[in-house]
Amino acid sequence: MRNTDEKEETSVYRRVVLKNSSPYHYMRVCLVVDDQRIRPSVVELKNFIITGLRTLHGQAGAAINFDVLKYEEDSLTAILRIYSRGLVKLWSSLTLISSYENHNCAFRVNQVSPYLLALTGNSRDLQLD
Amino acid sequence: MSVFMDLNVPFTDNHELLQQLIQTAAHLGYSTVAINYMFEPSAKNKQVPVPADISQLIGPLPLVQGRSRPIRVLHRLTVVVSDPAHFVTRANAEEYRPFNLLAVQLTSEKLFHTACLQYDVDIISIPGTEKLPFFFKRAAINGAADRGVVFEVSYAAALRDSTRRRYTITNALSLMESCRGRGVILCSAAEQALELRGPYDVITLGVLFGLCDADSKDCVSSSCRSVLLHAETRRTANGIVSTRRREGAGPLGEAVSAKRAKVI
Repeated sequence: MRNTDEKEETSVYRRVVLKNSSPYHYMRVCLVVDDQRIRPSVVELKNFIITGLRTLHGQAGAAINFDVLKYEEDSLTAILRIYSRGLVKLWSSLTLISSYENHNCAFRVNQVSPYLLALTGNSRDLQLD
Repeated sequence: MSVFMDLNVPFTDNHELLQQLIQTAAHLGYSTVAINYMFEPSAKNKQVPVPADISQLIGPLPLVQGRSRPIRVLHRLTVVVSDPAHFVTRANAEEYRPFNLLAVQLTSEKLFHTACLQYDVDIISIPGTEKLPFFFKRAAINGAADRGVVFEVSYAAALRDSTRRRYTITNALSLMESCRGRGVILCSAAEQALELRGPYDVITLGVLFGLCDADSKDCVSSSCRSVLLHAETRRTANGIVSTRRREGAGPLGEAVSAKRAKVI
């Protein structure tokens, strides 16, 4: 359900109210490969994840719709958006992915949230004195 | 909420690799890990391994992420039993005393049944590398659950190739069907640091194995804690002292009849 603030038509901000459970989940994942020189591009990353889905869940798994919203190639960190219904399938296939181009690798899932805003910060990265 | 534990990190002679494994486990958020020593008794080899000193093995213990206290490292012995003579059934056997946890891995249905109902162990290990030669019987599984013995499913074999992944999932699914999600723990058995997965990843894997969310979370947290408590009582309880109030000992002894101790 969406209520747009009609008074400020020029405003770029939009208020979004979710009354039911969120349709999407967002995940921040990081690819760790034992060979540091390997830097897959965003297309290769998405293809790699789809291959992982297909090996674990078959054709029906590969048909799950997900998006790579953002990808930082230097840290190999990506933000994925997935329909909540497919979350467990995507997450379990990410867990069972173990090799990329004959190199050992692992997906570290850093954050999972139904709200994209929650991925802006991570309390575990804070340096507390 | 209990903390996360990984009760199966295989022992290797390569100390650097072991150090790396423990460091990764601490970074992923595991508060306790158990170093696993495999022991396959045979006619030639009857020597039970002796655990190495942890401070010599890995040096200073790394801090657990998010808890700022060092990780706890335990010793665990897994005995691969293919013949009843391989396992010392006597309670508090001297050979097994240096280890915090005692596990068995069975190769036949008869042994599995005996182990579930009689063996004085903490963990029964279900291999992920091969197809089990028998089905799980409800009676044996329930007997194990009543005695506080848990079953262990390890996921590292599922990461290595697709055949072993199929075996792991098959074995896990048939186990979950018979035990209905109680008394199971999920461990890594990872030989390299990149085979370790975070606790929440393992919880999702538990959902894939047919558990519900809450049971799946228990597999890496509270079930592991109950295994540790079970192991502690197994190692320390040598006898039982029971006390009973004497009949007519004092005014308290003549309390309301409903509260009086039953004399059997």
